[in-house]
Amino acid sequence: MGLFCTLVRIRYMILAASMNLDELGAVEDSLTRLKEGDLDALASVMAQYQHRLYRFLFRLAQDPTLADDLFQQTWLRVMERIGRYDARRQFAPWLFSVARNLAIDTLRQGRLASLDAVEDSGVAPIDRLAAAERDPLEQLLEFERGAALVSALAELPVIHREVLTLRFEEEMKLEQIAEVIDVPLSTVKSRLTRALEGLRGRLR
Amino acid sequence: MSTHELNRAKLALAAAGALPQEELLQVEQHARQCPVCLRELEVWSVYARGLGQLPQPTLPLGLVARTQAKVLSERADAADRRRDAVMLGFLAAFSWASSVAFWVVARALTGGVLEAFGTNWVGAVPWFLASALLAWMTAAAAAITLGRRREIRRTL
Repeated sequence: MGLFCTLVRIRYMILAASMNLDELGAVEDSLTRLKEGDLDALASVMAQYQHRLYRFLFRLAQDPTLADDLFQQTWLRVMERIGRYDARRQFAPWLFSVARNLAIDTLRQGRLASLDAVEDSGVAPIDRLAAAERDPLEQLLEFERGAALVSALAELPVIHREVLTLRFEEEMKLEQIAEVIDVPLSTVKSRLTRALEGLRGRLR
Repeated sequence: MSTHELNRAKLALAAAGALPQEELLQVEQHARQCPVCLRELEVWSVYARGLGQLPQPTLPLGLVARTQAKVLSERADAADRRRDAVMLGFLAAFSWASSVAFWVVARALTGGVLEAFGTNWVGAVPWFLASALLAWMTAAAAAITLGRRREIRRTL
């Protein structure tokens, strides 16, 4: 089991290292230009974060239309507040924090997400399977497991969904999660534990 | 709370890779000696793996382009608003400067007295009130004109 934990750590290290240094430099450069008001830099910053941001908002909203709306609002808010972004800090936690606050405000206003929205994403399961290269039966079983997890995840409160997606999909450290959701580290730990327990309870 | 219970409470976080190295080692050491916790850690590890491999939502086609267009349009609107505000500020300042200049000229030409309806219109207070009224009316007319122009631009 120690081996698994070590493998998880190694995976995170490889992922972090795999981000090309040139790419990082280009993003930093684009962020600097964006801060100076250069709108051409927006395209490259968006290209870097669009999939991650949409996935995060989708997990929070559980509704493609709402996620779509929040995605647009997030970038508008980013452009409004880019002057306040401290370039010495990482951009992703700041971006996700902006997105998260918008999503939470919207969800609080009563536009509650539909729990079956995952099936409305417009992508047929077969298309998802076709993208992979493994044995179809193995893929199908994995997809079913994934679908069950997504379904259980959708039933969790949004404060639990956000920590799970930030930890496991965005692969953020607990300190970064604390920065995104603006709570102490101990709260992140307790929410993560409760979220995992809640997920497990729903899958039993 | 016993050592077993303490370590058991940390199993989910251990599988999530969310424990400091020292605590992780303690949990792993305990799990090696405790079959119940080892089994539990294995279960949590399955969840952790599963959560890292969820089916991914697809970014809707055209969303990025729509967002960029919206940002550009919002930026243009903001620039218009700033320009309008500067214009209004300039007009207000110009209006007050003209009023003071005309007052000085009017007083010089009339010797400081221009009586009508029982009021000396080149006195400081009546001139100030009349100027303020004129300035407010001009500002309202300018704001309406700018608002209409923005409305027309938005419709186009």
